[in-house]
Amino acid sequence: MAHNAMPLSMAKVGEEVKVIEVRGGQRLRRRLIELGFTPGTRVRILQDHGGPLLLAIGNSRLAMGRGMAHKILVTTETPVIQGSAHG
Amino acid sequence: MAERTLRVALAGNPNAGKSTIFNVLTGSHQHVGNWPGKTVEKKEGFFEYRGLRVEMVDLPGTYSLSAYSPEEQIAQEYITEEHPDVVVNVIDASNFERNLYLTTQLLEIGVPLILVLNVWDVAQQLGYKIDVEKLSQLLGVPVLTAIASKGVGIAELKEALYRAAEHREEIRPREGLVKYEHALERAVRQLTEAIEQLPDLEGYRPRWLAVKLLEGDKHAERVISAHPQGAEVLALREKLKARLKHTYDDEIDIAFADGRYAFVRGLSRHVLTMPHRPPTTLSDRIDRIVTNRVLGIPLFLFLMYIVFNLVQTVSAPFMDWIDELFSGPITAWTLAALSAGHAPAWLVSLITDGVIAGVGSILVFVPGLMVMFFALAFLEDSGYLARAAFLMDKAMSFLGLNGRAFIPMILGFGCNVPAVYATRTIENRAARILTGILIPFMSCSARLPVYVVFGLALFGAHAGVVIWSLYLIGIAIASIAGWVLSHLVFTEVQKSVFVLELPHYRMPTLMTLWLHTWEHTSEFIRKAGTVILGISVLLWMLLNLPWGVKNPQQSYFGKVSSAIAPIYEPAGFGTWQAAGALVSGFVAKEVVISTMAQVYLSEPTSTAQAPAQLHPLEDLKQIVVDFGKATIDAAKAFLNVLTPGVNLFPKHGAGVSETGLSRALSRAFTPLSAFAFLVYVLLYTPCVATVAAQAQEYGWRWALFSIALSLTTAWIAATGVYQIGLLLGFH
Repeated sequence: MAHNAMPLSMAKVGEEVKVIEVRGGQRLRRRLIELGFTPGTRVRILQDHGGPLLLAIGNSRLAMGRGMAHKILVTTETPVIQGSAHG
Repeated sequence: MAERTLRVALAGNPNAGKSTIFNVLTGSHQHVGNWPGKTVEKKEGFFEYRGLRVEMVDLPGTYSLSAYSPEEQIAQEYITEEHPDVVVNVIDASNFERNLYLTTQLLEIGVPLILVLNVWDVAQQLGYKIDVEKLSQLLGVPVLTAIASKGVGIAELKEALYRAAEHREEIRPREGLVKYEHALERAVRQLTEAIEQLPDLEGYRPRWLAVKLLEGDKHAERVISAHPQGAEVLALREKLKARLKHTYDDEIDIAFADGRYAFVRGLSRHVLTMPHRPPTTLSDRIDRIVTNRVLGIPLFLFLMYIVFNLVQTVSAPFMDWIDELFSGPITAWTLAALSAGHAPAWLVSLITDGVIAGVGSILVFVPGLMVMFFALAFLEDSGYLARAAFLMDKAMSFLGLNGRAFIPMILGFGCNVPAVYATRTIENRAARILTGILIPFMSCSARLPVYVVFGLALFGAHAGVVIWSLYLIGIAIASIAGWVLSHLVFTEVQKSVFVLELPHYRMPTLMTLWLHTWEHTSEFIRKAGTVILGISVLLWMLLNLPWGVKNPQQSYFGKVSSAIAPIYEPAGFGTWQAAGALVSGFVAKEVVISTMAQVYLSEPTSTAQAPAQLHPLEDLKQIVVDFGKATIDAAKAFLNVLTPGVNLFPKHGAGVSETGLSRALSRAFTPLSAFAFLVYVLLYTPCVATVAAQAQEYGWRWALFSIALSLTTAWIAATGVYQIGLLLGFH
């Protein structure tokens, strides 16, 4: 697992992150997967009002409660220029 | 004349433009009802093309098909059980991959399919390149492009449907198009083989049943267990599931969902190229301001203020016009007709005081409702309402509700009835009901006349403060009740999660707005109208029986009121007049004032005989002239609302005429008992129309719960105000 993994709820506004894993109950996971939150998908944080987040995923815009965003594990997009293999 | 019929179902994600396509195709030939046993809207319509009659059903917008939500269940059951000839899958081309998830499920079902890549213009602007021909080749079904809001691609769709009627089998997706990873695929095949042995599957595809059974879908389970040899299949399913558990744990259905996404991604690698960095859209630029942390909420409040004002000021002239029409010419003409036919006095009174007054009291609400529905449809269709829900999510979480519940609450200040209907947009059932039960605490515009009359009679210069405090008390009580109920009764709302797609902003078409407005308005007139009418007639009977009663206190109404009155003794207004006004106020809150006028001033009722002379022509002319005046007034008011702070058309001489009533009230009430009375008026059951709406949306059990809650809350609050006031030395 990537060392800079964190919940989506903690990502900064303007940041683009990559979904690693969706946690939480089966219903919630399935719902999120149907909305496109599959591993590898890129998500951008557009607004954070302390409560819900405003996200861009693909070309759709989603409002998401913080609790839900807490269940999505993401990693910050850091382009690996050197191409050094690890793991 | 059409000789042949084609039954078509429209399927697609919410906001993909399904309804637009439906409206463009069917126009006025549509019918809106409910799916049997559900509160989900069912839209049906038809059109004719080259002698072919195409009957369409607009399925609920869903992200997938399963037995997971009522909408998805309806869509899935309709497609698999009603066997439409063709399913048209509307896809938002600017959101290609997410929309294709549902498509994979339609491919698996194996129903004849046509794909429509809608919003094609936006996809182009975003720099998406979709190889339509290749997509059609890979899936083996026709793929069209469309910009439904501009009518582009509709002719092609009609032509494709016409061809589909001839060669339906050619557009049926082949079996096994969507494949899963090794372990899943093996289980699916094994189960498919077992299902294939069953005779007569009623058109279900064995492979689809196999996938659904492994996913744990209740609908597929029902199909198989209804089958005489179904038990063996179910046993095999359990065996296979136990084996899959080693690999996937308890998340077999998620593995299937992943598999579908893998298929979608594979597909889009072949047919979709998009720019590395998506350009910023106009929608995003608007959102930067509208959903801004600092500007968002003030902007929202400003918009709400405008909507409010529109509802009140634009509809007021028309309300007066309808009111005068009913109390004036219509009553006069009916009286003339009745006396010409030598109708007995009781019938005259029933028809004029009961029926006409009753119908009038319904129709008087209609202009306000239409303006409200229109404004709501505009905010919704333009995409703004979803943003408002996002902005208010945090504040609503205190009530155990999320952002979606906010819109209906704010609408409640205008009128509780459409507000209750607006709770339909809330996904979670518990949250929907809780919101519907809190709405009556929002002080609707019908309560304002009561506050104003009492305020001027008893509080003089402080009337404004008193009225404001009532609005705030309503909000405070709603907050307390919401907090308590979400912790004690509606515990499931705590689990409801908030995720809401924000559609791209767009300009709604006038036709769509009108269809929405009329759909809701006619629903109000039909359903709530019958209830109000019935109760008006009942109230008339109670006020006039035993027949010939002179003093209203001696009528059944007076006797019932006298019996109820002692309940309100602790709250300081235990008189039969007050109790009677409250009882009649159950029909509609404005009635409180008109009832008080009757019982305090014992005005002669309007059953005076018909006027000697009728002037139908002059009356008609007057009606038209008044309507013209009302329209001009409404237009002026509209302009005033759109230019806040600047009064373009100042009002003249807005005085209070009910001075006789004011004097009677100041004798009958003390300031303290009047305030307690107003608190009661604020909090008790708003009107029968609201109760009828609640019953329709949540069932009678919750409607009665709401009545009980509001009656107890109102009594406790009013009594508390009065008793504490006495202790503090007010009187």
